[in-house]
Amino acid sequence: MTLLRLAWRNLLGAGTRTALNVLVLSLTFVAIVASLGLLEGMNQQTARAMVEAEVGGGQLWHPRYDPFDPLALAEAHGAPPPAARRMIADGSAAAILVVPGTFYPNGRLRPLLLKGIDPGQRVLALPTGPLAADGDEIPILIGQRTARACGLAVGDTVTLQWRDAAGTIDARDARVVEVMRTPVQSVDLNQAWLPLERLRGLAAMPGEATLVVAARDVVPPDDAGAWRSRSQDELLADVRSLVRSKAVGAAIVYVLLLFLSMLAIFDTQVLSLFRRRKEIGTLMALGMPRGTVAALFTLEGALHGVLAVVAGALYGAPLLARFARVGWKLSVKADSYGFALGDTLYPVYSLRVVALTLLGLLLVTTFVSFLPTRRIASLQPTEALRGRAG
Amino acid sequence: MIRFLLKGLLRDRSRSLFPVLTVVAGVTLTVVLYSWVRGTESDVIRASAAFATGHLRVTTTGAAREGEVGADELALTGLGGLLDELRRRFPGVEWTPRIRFAGLLDLPDERGETRAQAPVAGLAIDLRAPGGPEQRALNLGRALRSGRLPAAPGEVLVSDELAQRLRLAPGERATLIATTRFGSLTTANFTVVGTIRFGISAVDRGAILADVADVQPALDMDDAASEVLGFFPDQVFRAAPARAIADAFNAGAPVGDLDPVMADLRADPGLAAILDFAATVTTALIAIFVVVMSIVLWNAGLMASLRRYGEIGVRLAIGEHHGRIYRSLIAEALMIGLVGSLLGTALGVAISAYLEVHGVSIARFLKNASLLISDVLRAEVTPGSYLIGLVPGLLATLAGTSISGLGIFRRQTSQLAKEFEG
Amino acid sequence: MRAFLPAIALFAAPLAAQLPAGDEILRKVDDNLGSATKRSTARMTIAGRGGTRTVESRSWIRGTAESFTEYLAPPRDAGTKMLKLGDQLWTYFPATDRTILIAGHMLRQSVMGSDLSYEDLMEDPKLFELYRATVLREEAWRERPCWLLRLEARVPGLAYETREMWVDRERYVPLKENRYAKSGKLLKTTDVVEVARLGNRWVARKIVFRDVLKTGDGTTFEIESIEFDVVIPEHVFSKASLRR
Repeated sequence: MTLLRLAWRNLLGAGTRTALNVLVLSLTFVAIVASLGLLEGMNQQTARAMVEAEVGGGQLWHPRYDPFDPLALAEAHGAPPPAARRMIADGSAAAILVVPGTFYPNGRLRPLLLKGIDPGQRVLALPTGPLAADGDEIPILIGQRTARACGLAVGDTVTLQWRDAAGTIDARDARVVEVMRTPVQSVDLNQAWLPLERLRGLAAMPGEATLVVAARDVVPPDDAGAWRSRSQDELLADVRSLVRSKAVGAAIVYVLLLFLSMLAIFDTQVLSLFRRRKEIGTLMALGMPRGTVAALFTLEGALHGVLAVVAGALYGAPLLARFARVGWKLSVKADSYGFALGDTLYPVYSLRVVALTLLGLLLVTTFVSFLPTRRIASLQPTEALRGRAG
Repeated sequence: MIRFLLKGLLRDRSRSLFPVLTVVAGVTLTVVLYSWVRGTESDVIRASAAFATGHLRVTTTGAAREGEVGADELALTGLGGLLDELRRRFPGVEWTPRIRFAGLLDLPDERGETRAQAPVAGLAIDLRAPGGPEQRALNLGRALRSGRLPAAPGEVLVSDELAQRLRLAPGERATLIATTRFGSLTTANFTVVGTIRFGISAVDRGAILADVADVQPALDMDDAASEVLGFFPDQVFRAAPARAIADAFNAGAPVGDLDPVMADLRADPGLAAILDFAATVTTALIAIFVVVMSIVLWNAGLMASLRRYGEIGVRLAIGEHHGRIYRSLIAEALMIGLVGSLLGTALGVAISAYLEVHGVSIARFLKNASLLISDVLRAEVTPGSYLIGLVPGLLATLAGTSISGLGIFRRQTSQLAKEFEG
Repeated sequence: MRAFLPAIALFAAPLAAQLPAGDEILRKVDDNLGSATKRSTARMTIAGRGGTRTVESRSWIRGTAESFTEYLAPPRDAGTKMLKLGDQLWTYFPATDRTILIAGHMLRQSVMGSDLSYEDLMEDPKLFELYRATVLREEAWRERPCWLLRLEARVPGLAYETREMWVDRERYVPLKENRYAKSGKLLKTTDVVEVARLGNRWVARKIVFRDVLKTGDGTTFEIESIEFDVVIPEHVFSKASLRR
């Protein structure tokens, strides 16, 4: 009988104990995958929220545009390059015109960025639809943070002021048509979104834009003339670096979880060896080499790991899948420190992660199963037969 | 009886040593995990508290409502009196003023005209107070990229990226162009003595770190500040006392736009959410770990009893009562559990304490050390660290033995004896 | 034909006498204030949230393109100097011994937190060249008979597209001015509270500026003394004089 079948039979024979150990191992497996999924979900969620609301697949910037330099904004507008215009025309990119201005909520002067965007655009997940409203007043979309800080709500009117391309001051009343809840601060704070053509008219900047955002899975064109291309990775660098700093901490937790499972299997193996002294003695007396005996027990331990994987998959997969679908509800928006998370955290399980964890667990289990078997080397068959440990 | 048991335990190493070692290992792991995870939680608070909110924060009511603090009409006035009051009423907290401002950094040429200029965001803190809360909270030395920390009046730090862009070397003079609290254009000369890295591009683009005493006259903010931050001395945030202090300060206080109001760290909605999230995750992790470890140790307890069926068979045969044997098993398990838990907790706390003090450096994984992203992960030993080990260490071991010990009552004496034989 | 002439004269005369050409009025306003040089001292009172502040200054002006202002009070601002040369505005800060060019965006900042921006201060007073004026009607303001003028930008790039101006019919001094955005929304007002006679000119002595969109009491500008056509040394209008 092959070693494998023997090992398998022994495993089945131990019944409850096997089940217990398998359960424990599978629990650690599921726990590790769940935790990794959470972290990856957090990473992706932050990045995803930013991609959906702001970054898109990448951006093209006007040569004078610098999101961190408010002073240069007044000159950062021009006609987008032909390649970009084609993308805008076929809906795979959206043009955004940024005009610096001020507004006067409650009679207090506050700086404000006016951002013009096509109300019908589908590139960014911003609720721009209501901006298609008609009327004398300018429809604006603001974020909840701005609304809260200025005491504004849907339907309120506020005076906007800006300068057109020639530097002439213009001021008009605007009506808040929508207040959006977005986890991404940088499309919310100190800015208001208007219909693009309206803003172009008001600012006397026909056909112009400050930046062009490509749709999520689209890459901005390379041949953009003087306009500079910014890839998605560049724009998400901060987020990724922040999350990376958390990943190492999590790794330590996983190591501890792994130790936990090692402890479980180690325990089992020792008991197994002790209880089956007679069996070991018998096998050796029957001529089985020590090495093979050791291999048998190691194999049994490894099989525990395999069964743990199967069991974990059986109950863990549906559990984690539901988790990924429903997500984890957070009490308040966790977005104020660079982490644009929103209301619910969705874990993400990547095949690579699961496979690696699986492999790691099996290796660890096998190795730890092997350790106690070294004792077999020093076991005297005669003593073993009598039921005494060597 | 106990002495007998103890002797038995000490004599038979295989009966005691191995189970105890198992318990020790399990408990150590549990304690270390718990402390580690708590440390991660604290880390979120630490970074945010140091840079943004402090553990407690006093601003004017108007500034709190608008959500922004700066060097403008909504700044805190009567700073001296306010600080005195805070230090008198709440001496357990270290209070320190800060000013946030914005402007242009202008580098002069030989004629005193502009050679280079860039927008900057500014933070003025109590930079030079030796051993002061700011020094400890921000740990600036770590993020220093070139030059040195300010030591004399008029010395400032700028973000490294800005310095490189403007070709500014440590030791050079620069002028800050800003607006005063009342809106007048103003300038102030500083000497840039070093550069630091903040870790967030928006800030690294252009930031200046100065001393409050230098910025106050420049911005016409004598006896004024944007905010006053409070830190608990050991940098550890305590939610309940913080809330109590904030409530005490705000109770019955006037609420005009320019009147001071205090908020604790958790009151910041963004941070509270992160903390809740961190707490949820850590609790989940700890729960999973403790449950699983308990199962493991329960299993071990089970095992320990199973090994002794032979011995038990003999004892039954010579007339010892089932119940007595059972109780003696429990008592032994209790001792093993206790000893194992104590040793495991001691070891776990020792390791955690080491990880708290020295931490694990992840600098290799981050491009550069920076102010806002901690590059050292630390554990945190809390009162819970001393207790958490008991759940798997004592309770689970006990549970395991109690259940497997029941087997005594089920099996035949003869069978037990046979197990003894082989 | 001869019989008709008086009739025609009768017809035409009232039309002509009714409202003079707006541009004519504007030119006379410019003439009233215009001189080769001016030297003045002034006081500006700024009403803010935390109270009022008063700033005193002395100015030398040559033509419309050059001016030099030194601030005398409060002590914090004393010694600060501003030099306008054409469309450039330089400011010198004695505390830091730095000369800063205020350009672009910075020009739109308010002066000392007042309702005036640097741009407002820099404004070329020769309205006639910048705006086209039409007379809307006659209207009294502060019991003075005035023409209400409507000014429309002649050249592109002016901050205020349209203005309304109440010009004293006898003295050719603007008593009130409204400045409008492109949309017609009222942005700023100037209100002349006191007028004085100096030689053969009428000078607005006390003016209140208000940014209408902001809540607040505005900024009051009082000319304490003013002299016309004085001799001003050449070096005054040079950057070197900033650091003296």
